[in-house]
Amino acid sequence: MKRLFTFALLFVLATGMVWAQNEKYTKAMSDGINALLAIDRSNPDPKSLVEISNRFERIAAAEPKEWLPKYYAAYANVLLGFVAPTLNEKDQYLDKANALLKEAEGIAGKPNDELEILKAYQSQIHLAADPMNRWQTDGEKFQGFLQSAKSINAENPRIYYLEGSSLFFTPEEYGGGKKAAKPMLEKAQQKFSAFKPETAIHPDWGKMETEWMLSQTN
Amino acid sequence: MANRFVSAVTHNLLAMKLFYCLLLFVSPAVLAQKSIQGKVTDQKGNALPGANVFLKGTYDGGTTDANGVFAFQTSESDTATIAASYVGFEVFEKKINLKENIAALSIRLEELANELNTVVITAGAFEASDEKRMAMLKPLDIVTTAGAAADITGAMQFLPGAQRVGEQEGLFVRGGSGQETKIVLDGMIVQNPFFSSLPDVQSRGRFNPFMFKGTSFSTGGYSAQYGQALSSVLLLNTTDKVSNNGLGISLNLANAGLNYDYANKNQSVSAVVYYGNLRPLFKLVKQNVEWIHAPEFEGSSLTYRWKPTKNGVLKVYGMYSDSHLSMDSRNPSSESGKMRLVLKNNNAFTTSTYTDSWADGRWTLNSGLSYSRNKDKMTWDGVNFDRFDERTQTRLVLTRLLTGNNTILFGAEAHAINIGNGVDGTLHKLKDRYAAAFVESEIYISRALAGRVGVRSEYSSVISRANIAPRLSFAYKTGRYSQISLAAGQFYQNPDYRYLYLNKSLRNERADHLILNYQIIKNQRTFRVETFYKNYAQLVREFTGQPFDADPYRFPWGATNNGGEGYARGFDFFWRDQKSIKNLDYWVTYSFVDSKRLFQQYAHSATPTFISNHNISLITKKWFEKAKTNLSATYAFTSGRPYYNPNNDEFLKDRTPAVHNVSIQASKLQSIKGNLVIFYATVDNILNTRNVFTYRYTPDGRTRYAVGPQSYRSFFVGMQIMLSRKAKVEKDDF
Repeated sequence: MKRLFTFALLFVLATGMVWAQNEKYTKAMSDGINALLAIDRSNPDPKSLVEISNRFERIAAAEPKEWLPKYYAAYANVLLGFVAPTLNEKDQYLDKANALLKEAEGIAGKPNDELEILKAYQSQIHLAADPMNRWQTDGEKFQGFLQSAKSINAENPRIYYLEGSSLFFTPEEYGGGKKAAKPMLEKAQQKFSAFKPETAIHPDWGKMETEWMLSQTN
Repeated sequence: MANRFVSAVTHNLLAMKLFYCLLLFVSPAVLAQKSIQGKVTDQKGNALPGANVFLKGTYDGGTTDANGVFAFQTSESDTATIAASYVGFEVFEKKINLKENIAALSIRLEELANELNTVVITAGAFEASDEKRMAMLKPLDIVTTAGAAADITGAMQFLPGAQRVGEQEGLFVRGGSGQETKIVLDGMIVQNPFFSSLPDVQSRGRFNPFMFKGTSFSTGGYSAQYGQALSSVLLLNTTDKVSNNGLGISLNLANAGLNYDYANKNQSVSAVVYYGNLRPLFKLVKQNVEWIHAPEFEGSSLTYRWKPTKNGVLKVYGMYSDSHLSMDSRNPSSESGKMRLVLKNNNAFTTSTYTDSWADGRWTLNSGLSYSRNKDKMTWDGVNFDRFDERTQTRLVLTRLLTGNNTILFGAEAHAINIGNGVDGTLHKLKDRYAAAFVESEIYISRALAGRVGVRSEYSSVISRANIAPRLSFAYKTGRYSQISLAAGQFYQNPDYRYLYLNKSLRNERADHLILNYQIIKNQRTFRVETFYKNYAQLVREFTGQPFDADPYRFPWGATNNGGEGYARGFDFFWRDQKSIKNLDYWVTYSFVDSKRLFQQYAHSATPTFISNHNISLITKKWFEKAKTNLSATYAFTSGRPYYNPNNDEFLKDRTPAVHNVSIQASKLQSIKGNLVIFYATVDNILNTRNVFTYRYTPDGRTRYAVGPQSYRSFFVGMQIMLSRKAKVEKDDF
């Protein structure tokens, strides 16, 4: 009886600690995600992005079984690959994003649409860093990753957002432009309205950007 | 009952005690936060802002500020592992004691090996690649250079170390003749890289520059993997995948073609067919050559690529072309001053290569098998001359990656070459079985110092001779963006096959190279200077007992030996700037060479006729965003070359006037009904300069003819349509 009681108590304490740990993880993740959301998208500050990436990497190091911290760290590095001033720095961040994505894939263990989408985003930013020499290889990769994301989960709105954004920034003469992007962005918007992230800390970006782009197409 | 109650209470009390104990055990740690402060720097002590410093296994950590300083709190006590990471640097880890606050922890990070901090062996190599950041050119540069006519060797002629010889095809490198450069496609020697040679007309290369992902032009001191070239090798590497899925149409003043690409996950096929006829162009552009039948040609190629394993790639490429033309060429030694040439050519080339790697890239295999066959049926003033050659070759190279990026490779190749020359029905045959083995190692002594040591051994059956050629190259990093390199080696090549019909006891010709190079690549600007000394030995001399015969098409019938020798020395420099002016890219090349040789029929040492002491080229490219147009202009200067004047007692003392050429090229992107169309137009020799490449004399020495380009000012227009090409194209399409 005594033993049983102690056991029960220890069990309660232990689960409480696990729960506390979970809460700590969720809170740290939410804090990081909120910091990401707070970033000014029109003029992202590289310093804060580095800080955010570091934060997620620390969580990732402490939670080796979670793919989301690596995902967000990779996401921050993709954004850094966009804002960094020189090609060399851009590439360093983008290479790092790639490495983080590889690790995240290893943890996730099975094909994951969000990781495929982020890989597509990475290719898009990698292309933008040196378009003259990269359009061929990266353009192909971009399409390939989005295709495989579609085959996993065609309902993911970020697939259509990336496709739409790619059209949005392509000049009209080449079949792109704001008008051409509109149907794709509308599709993204529609998918966004139906989309529920698995948890509060699962990827949920792109809606704001889609709406901004749509507002520009009118 | 009471007992039971008491016992329950006791239990409760015990439990509460335990609970508080646990609380007490936990809370002091929560309350007693320790602070950790310090600085992260590189090995030289420069602050690294943005580095991530944290305690492993916890969420505690911080990011360094602009001065590399970090500070954070932790509730961990006892010991912990502190880790620091920074992009491009190795992760740092250290056990620390957390009994007290840490005020000044100094962390020095080690930079990871990368393209900037690791030396690359570069002496003598000039690369065009998308993959390597150190490359000085991109494959697209070849097609967007005005004056190169979208021809690979045409573009290479503007590179440092190359000399332009307007009336002959081939790459003339640092005092070498066109025959001293071998063109190598995926490791396999291309037997007939150019369309059949015509008197005083420069023939184009047979390959489409879009086929290649990388090109490496060696100006000497090249790797032991290649041989049979006294001066240079031009290495062409074909792409691994299709560039454009679907159908494409190309139309221009000279030809019409169709290309079709299809790819699925592991396989792809590209097919090309074309028909060309230069008559329409010649109607528009005044020709200096008297064409009886303007060149007419047709051809096709098929490429198949397959990825059977994760890293394995099989490529099979086959092409076939035939051409027909007839011209009246100048012949100073005939009475009419003309000679009628009729040429029909058939050419086939197939190559298949397989590359793979195992054990995380520690072993790499490159193998290939290729066959080429070329037939020229010619008549000169009604007399039949036939040329025939075929080459079967196989090659295998195994590379082992050792620790610290060091590599060692072993390889071998074997060729079966059959050559035939027919004069009025009598066929003279020559057979050569050639084999080579080589071993080469790249050694990184440190990130700043690397060396490449190789040796190649060859055997040729036609002359029954073997040779051993050592190759050596070193590179030392002098700064973050700069390095010096040194290369030396011995290079052997069989004598021109024409000599071997009569004398099979000749030996290989030999060249010894010594090259010193300095280069700095920083911020999209490149400066490179290279100086060289080349010693030629065992060159073939011919003794006819008669005065020098300047006819370039004569058959060498005199007695021959290997008594020739010579040298070439000089320097060249290259400056490219893609940064200073937005959307403007320009490069300047200057090459100087001083060379003398005693060879062929030369009675004494002289500067050969293909040498020009000074070659300058200025290439500019500008992209106009609004017009979606790329404009390129090229100025090329070639100083005068020696020519044989029978009236001058001094052999090869006369010099032609210098050659100037200004050319422009424009290409424009346009979308027509969702299909991408590229229009291009070029004007060559815009100033209509009456360039002279060389002079020829009549046998009496009284009259001389000037040999110049096929046409002076000329233009060319065309378009490329990519049907059903998906959108998303921009400047990027150039």
